[in-house]
Amino acid sequence: MSNTWQTPEMTKRIARRHAAEKRFRLAGLTAIVLSLLFLAVLLFIMLKNGLGGLDWAFLTGSDATSADAAGVWGALKGSFLTMLVTLLLSFPMGVLAAIYLEEFAPRSRWIDWVEVSINNLAAVPSIIFGLLGLAVFINTLNLPRSSPLVGGLTLALMTMPIIVISGRNAIKAVPPSIRDAALAVGASPVQTVFHHVLPLALPGILTGTIIGMARALGETAPLLMIGMRAFVATPPGGITDPSSVLPMQIFLWSDEIDRGFVQNTSAAIIVLLVFLLAMNGLAIYLRNKFEVRW
Amino acid sequence: MTKAKLTARNVDVFYGEKKAIDDVSIDIGNGVVTAFIGPSGCGKSTFLRTLNRMNDTIAGARVTGQILLDGEDIYGKEMDPVALRARVGMVFQKPNPFPKSIYENVAYGPRIHGLAQGKADMDAIVEKALTRAGLWPEVKDRLTDAGTALSGGQQQRLCIARAIAVSPEVILMDEPCSALDPIATARIEELIEELKDRYAIVIVTHSMQQAARVSQRTAFFHLGKMVEYGETSQIFTNPREVRTKDYITGRYG
Repeated sequence: MSNTWQTPEMTKRIARRHAAEKRFRLAGLTAIVLSLLFLAVLLFIMLKNGLGGLDWAFLTGSDATSADAAGVWGALKGSFLTMLVTLLLSFPMGVLAAIYLEEFAPRSRWIDWVEVSINNLAAVPSIIFGLLGLAVFINTLNLPRSSPLVGGLTLALMTMPIIVISGRNAIKAVPPSIRDAALAVGASPVQTVFHHVLPLALPGILTGTIIGMARALGETAPLLMIGMRAFVATPPGGITDPSSVLPMQIFLWSDEIDRGFVQNTSAAIIVLLVFLLAMNGLAIYLRNKFEVRW
Repeated sequence: MTKAKLTARNVDVFYGEKKAIDDVSIDIGNGVVTAFIGPSGCGKSTFLRTLNRMNDTIAGARVTGQILLDGEDIYGKEMDPVALRARVGMVFQKPNPFPKSIYENVAYGPRIHGLAQGKADMDAIVEKALTRAGLWPEVKDRLTDAGTALSGGQQQRLCIARAIAVSPEVILMDEPCSALDPIATARIEELIEELKDRYAIVIVTHSMQQAARVSQRTAFFHLGKMVEYGETSQIFTNPREVRTKDYITGRYG
């Protein structure tokens, strides 16, 4: 034996470590394969059931009482408008809140309390946001029920804490030396943030935003509360018209007794997944575009 | 020494309850290099950062006493810390160029202060600053390259160019060579020698040899107090205080 310096105990331990290493790799691989397998089965079933129904009439039509005539356009447009409202509200608000908390807020008990509240807000079940939306936007402010405006407002409440949390982490990750550098040449704190810190934090903020938006896109529970489960046969003309959204349409169709809606449900799921993928793709593109290496 | 550029009187600095600087009074002259030496944690960097109010950014930091720049109280109500930092530039321990182009690194300060009238003027300011920092010949053909792609010594000279581009009156250097190799260090020291006629330069250094090489006046800090301040040659050859003597002969620190 070449390793004459090894004691038998040592040899035994090394062998045990190698075995543990192998076991870990196997376990990790199994975890990945299982989850991917699950996704593959899901995709396969959806494509098998839904691909047949995915034609031009389906993509351009709106909800109807007969499965043949029903299409996804109304819900798709509703989802798009809702997401637009959500993004336009939650992104600037979330980023501004993150910047303020991270860069400007004085360390005080009040700010600690705000931080805890925002973290808790991100963990609140979505149905509660629906109730809040119903009480505030519809019953108090009298905004139009079932509209992308109210849906977007409600989902923005839900998405904002996610953007704040990821935004703060991204801002925190910018090295303090960059702030020092900017301040030392006479940049004001606001210039320091907007010229130097924010551009460097943007990729991280975008990642958080897309996670929040993806969650909002797939959300149904809060939209049930604000009446977006109504049967809407015409696509919304604007953000104040009654409308449905994709996940809600899927939910409604999956409840139908008519067999024809099974195909519609699967086809709508495919549309929703494509929408999600497009959103994620855009996010990755933007992230790479803004990524600064140093 | 002629009229002092910076005058500190009875300056205390607190971090929360802790007193980091205790009753420091010092006159810093124009056209000379002043070195702050002392063991780690003695407060020399803290004191340096009070001179351009970079301590403002640290939560809980508090400065009492008086610091005058050309007779103006830099902690006074009329003094805007943003404007102050344009007059009192700073170079940091670790080179910290912006992750932008070389040109943009230098042009940033002049741009936010509106120092250039048009593109040609800005080009001239950038060239002048880079020339003074001794970097122009090395980078003139690649001004659009990232500042962060330069070597450590070049990055530090870029940071010096960035500081002098806004035409400051004082340049504070916080251990500018501690992250650099001996050759890059020698370049920076030469540069300090060339720059000293135009600016008041204050340099914090851990290297006593460096203080002896580059400075005309030296202040020795220990445990938050300024123990001794005088001509560099006197401090190193004939210190008045025992603690200074012990430090420069390597008893502690």
